[in-house]
Amino acid sequence: MSALAHGFRIDEEKCQGCLACMRVCPTHAIRVRQGRARYTPERCIDCGVCLSSCQWGAIAPTTSSVKDLCGFKFRVAIPSPVLFGQFPAGISPAHISQGLLMLGFDAVWDFAVEISLVDRAIKEYLENWKGPLPLISVACPVVVRLVQVAYPRMVDQLICIQPPREIAGREAKRRYSGELGIPRDQIAAIHITPCQAKTISILEPAERVESNLDGTLGISEVYNAIVASANTMKAEPEKPPKAVPIRSAALLRSCLGDGLSQVLAHHRYLHVTGISNITQVFDDIEKGRLRNVEFVEAHSCWSGCAGGNLTVANVYVTLSKMQSLLDRLPDMDRETLAEVERRYSTEDFGLGRPILPRPARGHSGNLSERVRAVREAEALLTKLPGLDCGLCGAPTCKEMAKDVSIGDALLSECIYHSNDLQRSRESKRIPKEK
Amino acid sequence: MESDVLLRKTFEVHGLDFDKAGETSAEVKAILSDIGMDPDIILRAGVVTFEAEMNVVMYAARATVIFTLTEEDLSIEVVDDGPGIPDIELALQEGYSTASDEMREMGFGYGMGLPNIKKTSDRFELGSEVGKGTRLLSVIHLNAK
Ligand code: SF4
Ligand code: SF4
Repeated sequence: MSALAHGFRIDEEKCQGCLACMRVCPTHAIRVRQGRARYTPERCIDCGVCLSSCQWGAIAPTTSSVKDLCGFKFRVAIPSPVLFGQFPAGISPAHISQGLLMLGFDAVWDFAVEISLVDRAIKEYLENWKGPLPLISVACPVVVRLVQVAYPRMVDQLICIQPPREIAGREAKRRYSGELGIPRDQIAAIHITPCQAKTISILEPAERVESNLDGTLGISEVYNAIVASANTMKAEPEKPPKAVPIRSAALLRSCLGDGLSQVLAHHRYLHVTGISNITQVFDDIEKGRLRNVEFVEAHSCWSGCAGGNLTVANVYVTLSKMQSLLDRLPDMDRETLAEVERRYSTEDFGLGRPILPRPARGHSGNLSERVRAVREAEALLTKLPGLDCGLCGAPTCKEMAKDVSIGDALLSECIYHSNDLQRSRESKRIPKEK
Repeated sequence: MESDVLLRKTFEVHGLDFDKAGETSAEVKAILSDIGMDPDIILRAGVVTFEAEMNVVMYAARATVIFTLTEEDLSIEVVDDGPGIPDIELALQEGYSTASDEMREMGFGYGMGLPNIKKTSDRFELGSEVGKGTRLLSVIHLNAK
């Protein structure tokens, strides 16, 4: 198997081995050995928490760059709704879209239609579903990966419906290729993303089919250019922006957490944000305690995508701006509604292939060898101090015990068992009387 | 012939301890996933342990759950000192439950417990004596065809 692609890189030169990222990683994917942080690709779920925790700037997200767009004949930006809540008052959605055009895009896509389509598809799927409940949304790539890595038994509960951004990418290519006579592969559909996780969902889709999108630009990467272009536009009031980016509230509602809840009004529905909260809810699902809930929409970031790690503005400011934008827009517009009606019955929502669990490391060998490793880890754990100090380079004593049991670390890397300490203990030992 | 035991674990479950309900099954699942067991097996072991645990929480004062793993199979034995089951056949009917409304409100006791365990197991034994307690054994084969 080729190495899993991930949405960031750790720069070994810049890394100070400070343990900060190791301590915050929710899946215990990071180890700090020989003073440098490394991560196990199989375990990383691309939550981006480590990126934000690094004060040395050693962990950088991978996204596409504006330069990557050059190879295409036509470029469509598909901005996350969150983009529109990022800017200071006075910079309107029209300015923002115009700014994207200035950056080199040929069109900006309002994917309210796809959001409404997907909401409907989810409702229908749910009403026909006979398998275990609750079903889980696949909109946040981190949640999908969390299930693959930490809740492998729940992969069947991930709803097999593509997220709106993917359907938007396909539709944008279809439409512009038809209208302009350009082959689809020469049209780039680029998601303007609040997080690097979406990049990775394009480079390495969990369902192992090819993404309809061609890449991402982080909101933080387009931010300054949009502000600059808006300021130029404002200085020339005789040339107002032409772009009409948002037709109705449908686009923004999805990010405020009340889009789906309206559609699923008669179903038992939970919306959870923040990885630690999600873990609690998933633990309960696993224990069978949430059998009465039918659908869980989960977003790894606190308060959802507005809190994504490639956003610029404060999450609460963003949410309030989006709310006030939403209040000024019609609830739904005729154009969006008509397109939803037209496309719903023929749209292909399927994921293409099922999402499978992601096997973890250390599971090689036959059953009795694997059991031996687990028992050895248990025995080793009793020898460790239980302080979870992290100085050995593993986030907890339990993880350290597992690492040692599979030969990834030495017991002597624990300061409690370090050779120095042992020696000093030896030397202090009072000699037995003869 | 019995094959060699690779791993054996014993857990105590306490009656009416709704707060802790599900912890034994979570632990069993965690051990199995550490071992790198097939997710399907883990799921089934989880269902059996969870349902058994629920029965204990609802009806018994205390029970011991013994989890045993061999090369061939995985077994879960639950021995409780609860009131016992007067009519085993009835208890194995789907939808039969003596749970109180309050328990149902909490999502417990839909009368799916025992039938569900039976359905999930490759081998299932249930013995009970009224006033003494109940012994349940569920065996899951590791290499099911
Ligand atoms: S992105 Fe998240 S899961 Fe991956 S290494 Fe960083 S903190 Fe861990
Ligand atoms: S919640 Fe949204 S922004 Fe955050 S990781 Fe998930 S998809 Fe990305």
